[in-house]
Amino acid sequence: MDELELLKKDWQKNDKDYPKLSYNDIYKMILKKSSSIVKWIFIISLLEFVFWGFISFAVKDTESMQRFKSYNAENIMIPLTIIGYAILAYFFYKFFMNYRTISVTDNAKKLMENILKTRRTVKQYVAFNLIFLFISTFVVLGIQFNKDDQIVSMIDKAATNGELFKFYATTILITLLVLGVMILIFLGFYYLIYGILLKRLNKNYRDLKKLEV
Amino acid sequence: MNKELEHNFVELLEKHQNIIHKVCRLYTNNYDAHNDLFQEITIQLWRAYPKFRGDSKFSTWMYRVGLNTAITLYRKSKRRINTQGYDEVQFKIKAEDYDDTEEQQLKLLYKAVHHLNDIEKALVFLYLEDKNYREISETMGISEVNARVKMNRVKAKLKTILNP
Repeated sequence: MDELELLKKDWQKNDKDYPKLSYNDIYKMILKKSSSIVKWIFIISLLEFVFWGFISFAVKDTESMQRFKSYNAENIMIPLTIIGYAILAYFFYKFFMNYRTISVTDNAKKLMENILKTRRTVKQYVAFNLIFLFISTFVVLGIQFNKDDQIVSMIDKAATNGELFKFYATTILITLLVLGVMILIFLGFYYLIYGILLKRLNKNYRDLKKLEV
Repeated sequence: MNKELEHNFVELLEKHQNIIHKVCRLYTNNYDAHNDLFQEITIQLWRAYPKFRGDSKFSTWMYRVGLNTAITLYRKSKRRINTQGYDEVQFKIKAEDYDDTEEQQLKLLYKAVHHLNDIEKALVFLYLEDKNYREISETMGISEVNARVKMNRVKAKLKTILNP
């Protein structure tokens, strides 16, 4: 006999050997909270939105931002802020729409795809933020080179000493270094959290896709 | 209304609980993990229950939610003590029903099934539950042909484990 048929015979025979939970046992279970990965992805994603939203609010009232206002660079800063919020709203909307499509009664493949899609939206949002951070840092740096009294006087001093190139190079390099470290920390954090959370889902999705080639 | 829904659900689940136990049996290898997964599947079923239209059988619906939870939603229990012989102790494979070789073969088969990957386990599970390839393909979201090809591969894999 086929091995699997042998197994099937036994599998269907020992129905009575399973634990028997009572009505009350089951009732107690439905009152408990889920610990599924979808729930965790949802919580972490919300935290990401809150985190980046908080960052943009937090830098608004800082001293350097006040100083920044004196540069009269509103024509650059206002559009940047508006674009930032519009994009946040867009991602948030997309995230919720994706999240709502996750249904445990879909077939396995569709369910996995919907979860991964939700995840991807948040990933894109964070990537956008990192790129936005990168670009705005350099825009700000460019404005400071031209308008910040302190920096302009430093540039003048460097120019008279014939160290203008050195000054620009060091400033830009230090900025790049700080940004690089920040981005690395974010990526490391990401790798850790989602690596752990999605490892099994990703593997199963790959195995399922493999059946189709 | 909510109370009535709760009551109906718990009653149905009590009656069909073996389906969940069977999923847990394949996907976990110790008592605590079995209970953990059982709990999570129950919660997922309960959450999805208000949308259960009754156009499919309750048991069919349970297969889908149960497997989805095991494969996709469930985070494996940290308590991963690999209890050797969990199957034999927990599910009392009975010696008297078989001659020695058949009992031995069953032990090896259960062990082998535990070593399959999550997707293969799902296919084997549906097969053991006597589902046809159309139902298997609908539950997994793959084509019938692919389900059939994969099942044949799993069968061959099990054969080589038993007859090396």
